[in-house]
Amino acid sequence: MLLLLPVLLPVIGGVFVFRQKSEQAREHLALALILGTAVLALVVCLLPEQRLDLLTIQSGLRLALRNDSLAKLFLVLVCCIWVPVLIFSFPYIRHAGGERSFMTVYTMTLGVLAGLAMAANFVTMYMFFEMMSLITVPMVLHNGTSAARRAGFKYLGYSVFGAGMALAGYFFIAYYMAAPDFAAGGAIDPVRAAQHRPLLLVIYCLMIVGFGAKAGMVPMQAWLPAAHPVAPAPASAVLSGVITKGGVLAVIRVTYYMFGVDFLQGSWPQYVLLTLALATVFVGSMLAYREKLLKRRLAYSTVSQVSYVLFGLLLLTPEGVQASLLQMVFHALAKDALFLGAGAIIFSTNYLRVDQLRGIGKRMPVTMMCFTLAALSLIGIPPMAGAVSKWYLVSAGLSAPLWGFGIAGLVVLIVSALLTAGYLLPIVTNGFFPGKQFIAERKEMGPQMTGPLIAFAAACLLLGLFPGGLIRWLSQLAGQLFG
Amino acid sequence: MEGILIACLVLLPMLASPAVYPLRRHSRAWRNHFVRTLPLIELACAAALILFPDAQLTLPGVCGLGLHFAAGSLRTLLVVTACFLWAMTGLNSPAYFAHAEGCNRYYCFWLLTQGALMGVFLAADLFTLFVFFEMMSFTSYVWVVQNETEEALRAGGTYLAVAVIGGMTLLVGLLLLQDLFGTLEISQLRALAEALPAERRTQLYVAGGCCLVGFGAKAGMFPLHIWLPKAHPVAPAPASALLSGILTKSGVFGVLIISRYLFWADLPWNTVVLALGVVTMVLGAVLAVFSIDLKRTLACSSMSQIGFILVGAAMQGYLSGENALAAWGTVLHMLNHSLIKLVLFVSAGVIYVSTHSLNLNDLRGWGRNKPWLKGVFFIGAASIAGVPGFSGYVSKTLLHESIVEYIHLLEHEGLSATAFQAVEWLFLISGGLTAAYMTKLFVAIFVSPRASGLHLGLREYMSRETSVALGLGAAALLGMGLTPGFTMEPLAERAGTFLMADHGHAVHYFTWVNLKGACISLAIGAAVYLLVIRRLLMRRAGSEMEYLDRWPAWLDLENLVYRPVLRGLAFVGAFCARVVSSAGDLMVLIGEKILFTRAPGIFVPKHDENFGIYARKPRRSIVGDTFSFDLMLAGGGLILLLLYLLL
Repeated sequence: MLLLLPVLLPVIGGVFVFRQKSEQAREHLALALILGTAVLALVVCLLPEQRLDLLTIQSGLRLALRNDSLAKLFLVLVCCIWVPVLIFSFPYIRHAGGERSFMTVYTMTLGVLAGLAMAANFVTMYMFFEMMSLITVPMVLHNGTSAARRAGFKYLGYSVFGAGMALAGYFFIAYYMAAPDFAAGGAIDPVRAAQHRPLLLVIYCLMIVGFGAKAGMVPMQAWLPAAHPVAPAPASAVLSGVITKGGVLAVIRVTYYMFGVDFLQGSWPQYVLLTLALATVFVGSMLAYREKLLKRRLAYSTVSQVSYVLFGLLLLTPEGVQASLLQMVFHALAKDALFLGAGAIIFSTNYLRVDQLRGIGKRMPVTMMCFTLAALSLIGIPPMAGAVSKWYLVSAGLSAPLWGFGIAGLVVLIVSALLTAGYLLPIVTNGFFPGKQFIAERKEMGPQMTGPLIAFAAACLLLGLFPGGLIRWLSQLAGQLFG
Repeated sequence: MEGILIACLVLLPMLASPAVYPLRRHSRAWRNHFVRTLPLIELACAAALILFPDAQLTLPGVCGLGLHFAAGSLRTLLVVTACFLWAMTGLNSPAYFAHAEGCNRYYCFWLLTQGALMGVFLAADLFTLFVFFEMMSFTSYVWVVQNETEEALRAGGTYLAVAVIGGMTLLVGLLLLQDLFGTLEISQLRALAEALPAERRTQLYVAGGCCLVGFGAKAGMFPLHIWLPKAHPVAPAPASALLSGILTKSGVFGVLIISRYLFWADLPWNTVVLALGVVTMVLGAVLAVFSIDLKRTLACSSMSQIGFILVGAAMQGYLSGENALAAWGTVLHMLNHSLIKLVLFVSAGVIYVSTHSLNLNDLRGWGRNKPWLKGVFFIGAASIAGVPGFSGYVSKTLLHESIVEYIHLLEHEGLSATAFQAVEWLFLISGGLTAAYMTKLFVAIFVSPRASGLHLGLREYMSRETSVALGLGAAALLGMGLTPGFTMEPLAERAGTFLMADHGHAVHYFTWVNLKGACISLAIGAAVYLLVIRRLLMRRAGSEMEYLDRWPAWLDLENLVYRPVLRGLAFVGAFCARVVSSAGDLMVLIGEKILFTRAPGIFVPKHDENFGIYARKPRRSIVGDTFSFDLMLAGGGLILLLLYLLL
């Protein structure tokens, strides 16, 4: 029963957040709810693995939750991001307006994400996936302009269509499943599946492309650069840091918990999807390099970086999974720091374009210091965290049985790292070294905004220096998937 | 104990670096004491490290793969040299920055870089080396842009771009090596490389090539030298001394490791290194002869000297079993060049603080009445030019001897040695050019008549600490140069073991055979100075001789090749990326075109754009018009289908 609490508490509590009269009370209630959920989620993580049936629709089909190790990882990640971003969002949203709806939606989303993480079978996961898409639309629509509405519907359209593709796929494969639940190592019945292997491979490819839309994989990445610039900064931070990872989670579930490695290893969808992932890595970085709008640049960067994760996953080796989970965590931390930094800059100066940011480091040194650390992590400069995950990712690519893709991955990832340096470092260098004549008034943000930024930047540095514990945990997790 | 020493060397400066801010807030004097003392503590640690040639330190799990440090041999020599340079520039810096604003930032990154550089030199595996190499690249960027002038920012951009591209290429090389061997432990690489099956050698070459690019970029090797002549003149003088004196050596150190441990006597590899080394050596010298900027001349000179060192690295490979002379020459030239550049750049800093100019025309005759600076500068100049009796002569002789030895070896086997005779002549000519441009500098600043309107400046033109730093550097050069058998050879022998040098034999430096090379070089230098520099690069303007910048401004590898190529690549890449990324939107667009055939809401008659009518009221909501809405409906349909199937 405990498993249901982290889902229900924020979802039901969100209603009460909406009904609070005063701004202060809303903020306190949201903070209390999210902290409570975080504690509950941690409790769930400490519990031994267990299953909770919610509702039986038909004998084989039921909604169920289970706290397996992947769910635990995702829960911890979500909670570690949700709390600091909430604290950042208090002053930001007060400034931007629409505080009531934002707090409500923000609180409820956490519950939905907890449900998504703990879903024990495809139907449950699909349900929470669609709920996640729907409930985050108000965050994109937040400022209510025509551009925001367009972006919101683009986001919704791509997400729902993508998830629909995946659902259509499920209709086909349900017949071939040995059991409806997810099972580490694959739940497909090998004997039955062998008869219709070509069909199932097509289905697999379509399902991953569908869920890939959420993770920003080509060809359905277009919602990301549209939605991020219009959403308020904390919303962009969680969209980019966590919601895209929801797509990654779905990809992991489908690949490793439904089809299984044995079925997919060496098949053509693997190569097609690896190509798509690598293409996305390049496309995202390249477009980010050419982009002038700061938040859209960061959005393109997300397109590129999340596909690093997909690349690692689709290698179908334990090292690849471990590396891509590392990348998932480290990207979430770095990208959130970057988006919060961008938010602090917008809050303080209203500057949206990159060329306006000359001298910003003199104006807001703490913010930009955190921005710099996160940028270095994203590029992959040691001793920042990103360097570790990228090293493991490329090593996994090179040691995977598909050698050509290892080399291609190496080249694309390094080119992308160079482009990442090309689109992030000029912001930092122009920000801190604007030239002798530049005069800037120092105007740092308050602790509510710099605190979360410092936390994320410090996490990037500390996890880069001492990633040992995390790596062990993830390699254990990756080991389970390969039984 | 040894572990603590290594940890102290690497971590102490890094952890202590932020302390400059609170100390400066207390008072300037406290901060200055701090930046003078900390490098001296480091120097003491480095000196203590000499006692532990087998010191090791392992930090498992840090940065993912774990860090592994080791001391001894060449590593200890480089660490001691680096700490000496840091201590000396630490003495000099407060005087140099006495009137500068915002130098806390500089000091902070100055200390960070020291820790990182210690990490590079003490690395026992290539991963550790890479981690600290990248840190060093980024922290030293701050030195280059410290002055924040237009040129400094541009040079800083070039520096950072070369550093990032070099660093990433190096990363590719290391990842390929890791894939090949499963370990990056330097001491194991040689055995593993020799046991490598022939079909995987291609990967080894690719990996080695990537590492060469990465390390070469930092060393200032042609064609990646572009940052060097730009970054040095704009950086503060103590920073230039370190950039040129010791940071470039981290690149050389890497090239040496790769050459010795992966490609022991591999012919194609050594040919490439030799060719690049020769080009770097000659090009740097030619650029230096043409330059009329004091620090730019010294920077180009650094590039040329790195070329000498690279030639030495390649000769070690050619001579394989009998490489003692080449290895010693390489090691000693690294040491000499560091000390020489310390002396010369710090002198340049002293000159700059008084005159606020680096153009030779403004500096003419400034040093006529300054015997201490004149003497010190002369020792540095004579040493780098390879005048017998100064330390540079010894290392250059060793390098020259190694080429001659290989020519003998080839002739003995009856093979053609023309190519190496050409290398020998280029070596001597570059030595001659070195003498020529150093003469040019020395004559311009300390001998020629005073430029009109030049203020002599104060009598106290340099602080006591600076003169101590300069004096110590010059004394080391002179002392080592006069007693090569006592001082330099034992050093070289110890350091040579890292490069797997054999025992070698004592060289009699002051015999005619060896002096001949230096004499030829100096004769060439005199000829170049009198015939080229005085005739072509100087002009009589009234009663004074004027230095001319005859190097065509458009002839610049960076502006001519790299920037256009990178811009072109970015254009092509962006074009491809846009094509790929628009695939999804294209589908949506096609869908919109096919599914929505309704007329647009507004008509504009053809010949009258001022006139327009609304066919119908514009709709407030755009929801129904978007294709995304249709996609959403499709998704909704699928949900209904699911429900139908379930219930």
